[in-house]
Amino acid sequence: MAKHHVSATLNGNDVEFLCETQQTLLEVLRDELHHTGTKEGCGTGDCGACSVTLDGRLVCSCLVLGVEARGKSIQTIEGMAEGTSLHPLQRKFLEHAALQCGVCTPGILIAARSLLERNPDPSEEEVRFWLAGNLCRCTGYNKIIEAVLDAAREMRGG
Amino acid sequence: MGGAPVRVVLISSHSGHYTGGVKEFEIEARTLLDVIRVLDRRYPGLGEHLEEETSVAIDGEIHEVAYFHPVHPGSEIYFIPKIEGG
Amino acid sequence: MDTKVIKPEAEGRGDRTLKIVGTSPVRPDGVPKVTGLARYGADYALPGMLWGAILRSPHAHARIRSIDSSKASALPGVKAVITSADFPEQKYEFVGPERVAINFWHMTRNVMAREKVLYEGHALAAVAATSKIIAEAALRLIEVDYEVLPHVIDVDEAMQPGAPLLFEDMITRGIDPPPNEASNIAKRIEFSIGDLDAGFAAADEIVEMNFKTAPVHQGYIEPHACLARFDNKGQGEIWAASQGHFVVRAFTARLLDMNIGDVLVHPAEIGGGFGGKTVIYVEPLAAALSRKSGHPVKIMMSREDVFKATGPTSGASMTVRIGVKRDGKLVAADGVFKFQAGAFPGSPVMNATMCGFAPYNIPNVRSVGYDVVCNRPKSAAYRAPGSPISAYAVESVMDAVAAKIGMDPLQFRLVNACRTGTPTVWGPKHAHDGCAETLKALLAHPAYAAPLGRNQGRGVASGFWFNNGGESSATVHVNEDGTVVVATGSMDIGGSRASMAIMAAETLGIEYEDVRAIVADTASIGYTHVTGGSRVTYATGIAVVEACRKVITELCARAAMIWSVEKDQVSWEDGSARRAGAGKHEPLSLKAIAAKRALTGGPIGAEASVNAGGAAPGFASELCDVEVDTETGSVKILRFVVAQDVGRAIHRSYVEGQMEGGAVQGIGWALNEAYVYDDAGHLLNAGFLDYRIPVASDLPMIETVLVEVPNPNHPFGAKGAGEVNIVPVMAAVANAINNAIGRRMTELPMSPPKVLAAIHTAPGK
Ligand code: FES
Ligand code: FES
Repeated sequence: MAKHHVSATLNGNDVEFLCETQQTLLEVLRDELHHTGTKEGCGTGDCGACSVTLDGRLVCSCLVLGVEARGKSIQTIEGMAEGTSLHPLQRKFLEHAALQCGVCTPGILIAARSLLERNPDPSEEEVRFWLAGNLCRCTGYNKIIEAVLDAAREMRGG
Repeated sequence: MGGAPVRVVLISSHSGHYTGGVKEFEIEARTLLDVIRVLDRRYPGLGEHLEEETSVAIDGEIHEVAYFHPVHPGSEIYFIPKIEGG
Repeated sequence: MDTKVIKPEAEGRGDRTLKIVGTSPVRPDGVPKVTGLARYGADYALPGMLWGAILRSPHAHARIRSIDSSKASALPGVKAVITSADFPEQKYEFVGPERVAINFWHMTRNVMAREKVLYEGHALAAVAATSKIIAEAALRLIEVDYEVLPHVIDVDEAMQPGAPLLFEDMITRGIDPPPNEASNIAKRIEFSIGDLDAGFAAADEIVEMNFKTAPVHQGYIEPHACLARFDNKGQGEIWAASQGHFVVRAFTARLLDMNIGDVLVHPAEIGGGFGGKTVIYVEPLAAALSRKSGHPVKIMMSREDVFKATGPTSGASMTVRIGVKRDGKLVAADGVFKFQAGAFPGSPVMNATMCGFAPYNIPNVRSVGYDVVCNRPKSAAYRAPGSPISAYAVESVMDAVAAKIGMDPLQFRLVNACRTGTPTVWGPKHAHDGCAETLKALLAHPAYAAPLGRNQGRGVASGFWFNNGGESSATVHVNEDGTVVVATGSMDIGGSRASMAIMAAETLGIEYEDVRAIVADTASIGYTHVTGGSRVTYATGIAVVEACRKVITELCARAAMIWSVEKDQVSWEDGSARRAGAGKHEPLSLKAIAAKRALTGGPIGAEASVNAGGAAPGFASELCDVEVDTETGSVKILRFVVAQDVGRAIHRSYVEGQMEGGAVQGIGWALNEAYVYDDAGHLLNAGFLDYRIPVASDLPMIETVLVEVPNPNHPFGAKGAGEVNIVPVMAAVANAINNAIGRRMTELPMSPPKVLAAIHTAPGK
């Protein structure tokens, strides 16, 4: 069967790709567009390692088909820093040692940015519940939560 | 050899095969190499077993078996099963 | 969160002023990891690369009558199909140390089943094709004729006479004389000291209890993945995420019958391991497919594969009996620990037998272990392997004993805590302190005196773990501009590059920012054992410091040449060479010497390889507050405090991170995690939805207390910090539940149905 031709934007740039019907957006990003920053932890929507935004909506890219991205704006971890300057969340994750192995980090950063866009002043509990779909096996979450709260504080200008 | 004897104990459960069950020894030695040589001379094959299959505790400090470790008069040397972590 | 640092009286070199050790600078590999550019095992690709896929057994136990892969081979796009026939037979012998004795006859069968499949998910064929989709389609064309056999998973059932045998001729090792009947018991282990019967006869109170634990998975978020490029001339390269690329190299070479030097392994970033990535699964298959097809081959496991075919730790069945005097002195302890090994021998039961009673001074102890094969994946190491399981049993009984004699559970432990000179059940005396210090830290912690509400309870427990040393290599090179590159052979799994850079900067007396630490491939540095056993900061750290010291010697020699003085006139202080005698001469900085390197003999650098001994064990004491919902049986963790002896924290935040992460893994083990099988031996919860690891909203902030009793055998006093934190957790949670509802939970996980059932049972039974 012929592959599908899809046009979309990836981190603000126009992209075009060919994909099979059953290929997920995660596979398209990693295998076709060579953006391997988005990780596969489960492929079933249970770990959040593949988190991206699609037209601003936080999704598990392993649960979205590549063809569903047609005409949409995809944001991945590779587009989070502006040029050479890291997003405050990225900086705070480094300062707080909020990553050990780092494989959950891209997904958590994308999810956390999405939270702060909606709620610039979340409580600890709100951060914990927002990130409940993003598994981290290394850190016990302490430093992730601290980094998100600290980044929120900085972004609010406090 | 000249040194005072050290006390050597074999804990590893396979060591007994080589020694007919004897587990404790007094040996004159200055290094772990001396200890292994003496034991291997007495029980051929034991040396290789100790080198390949055990760790050693010298006065309680656990080391991988290596020839150069010094032993002192009155030292207690235990050949123990090796520990591996996660 | 609330971090406390307790420094017992400085001992040895402990009081030296350290500038960088103990701080928390940003890791050298940080930016690529927050921008998505770091490359993990699954992130590598090569031109012409094929995708590998693995055919796995649908049965828990079956004989393979035949495999017909002709249809798969004929599918367009398929470039190679392999089975066990593509791997040479291995000799049946145990090589290496007892606990980790490797039998390559077993290993090659685990990687690719031969006569039988021994668990659901056992690999038995693999395909390489031009796309994932074709590779998956090819798997469906492979025809396997199975003779399904009865299976056994539970450890007690597997030990019964008449149980289905995984290996029809396996005779138990460690029993003299050997039994003449085959069984699933691979090995029996026994350690003892003193006179057990006399000890129990002298006891005023004795408590005995039975326990069961379920197999749990390490649960690293990154599934196993690798890329291999092998040619049929007998050379190859692998890019893999593992806890030890030298081990990947050795095992893969052995299974493919190649020379070690002909295999080059590149260390990909690793997305968690916790022990589970110290062994190989996909690497030899990708290599064999690449060798056969002539193309690079990439294999990624699915999460389902990870659960079904890689290392959970053992489920266990245990009996522990402890005898005590009325004044609280322990007099006797007896433990029988039966561990599932999975499909091949090699559970961590020996560690369990050694560690269980290790925190205490008990004159009469017997500790017996059984390593039992059964039809689930072969167990792999998991954080302090074995110790958390026996600690769950021992520390639960300790809690019951304390209650029986009416003593505070921490005071009870403190009275009996081991110290330097306390005998161990495995023979030698303890050579380090640390146990009592963690107990005292917890006693002094405000959490221990905080009030509790209704249906709330508090539990404490302690634990012991052997931290490891062993073989490590490091190089230190001074760059042209005076910055420094440190390379080691240790995979960085949780920030070790930062620790290495800290130790190098501290030793050389330069800024942390001027040191870059990297992980070198297997051809670029000397052999280095796995990142596991909490050994990296200790052993690789010693190698780094030794290499730095060699570099300092060389820098002083260069300075002496520049000054035209004897070498012994020059010393190194605060990052500069200084001349003895009159203070007129400006010191020569590392930068200044680097600038003159060509004039003084060329590039400056050194390598050090060590076999580090004298690693001190780790102790942890932990406190848990829970609230039990008596309607649903669900348990909420209200507060959790980890007091751990870390020797000395090199990178403070990453040490805290180890403690926080270990505690949370233990909480998952205590409350939720378990392998659940149906009657046919199929795993019912091979995914993160049903195998539920703790998520952020389940937890409070974990509180850490870094207890620092330095190990004088390490240049900065470090002990391993990665593992012992998980050891006491399940017992601490169980003891807290008991405190809340008056019921001893003797089976893991303590999930809502079990807690509810306990609530509805009369107390005391
Ligand atoms: S990979 Fe998509 S949620 Fe896990
Ligand atoms: S840092 Fe390893 S999974 Fe989160």
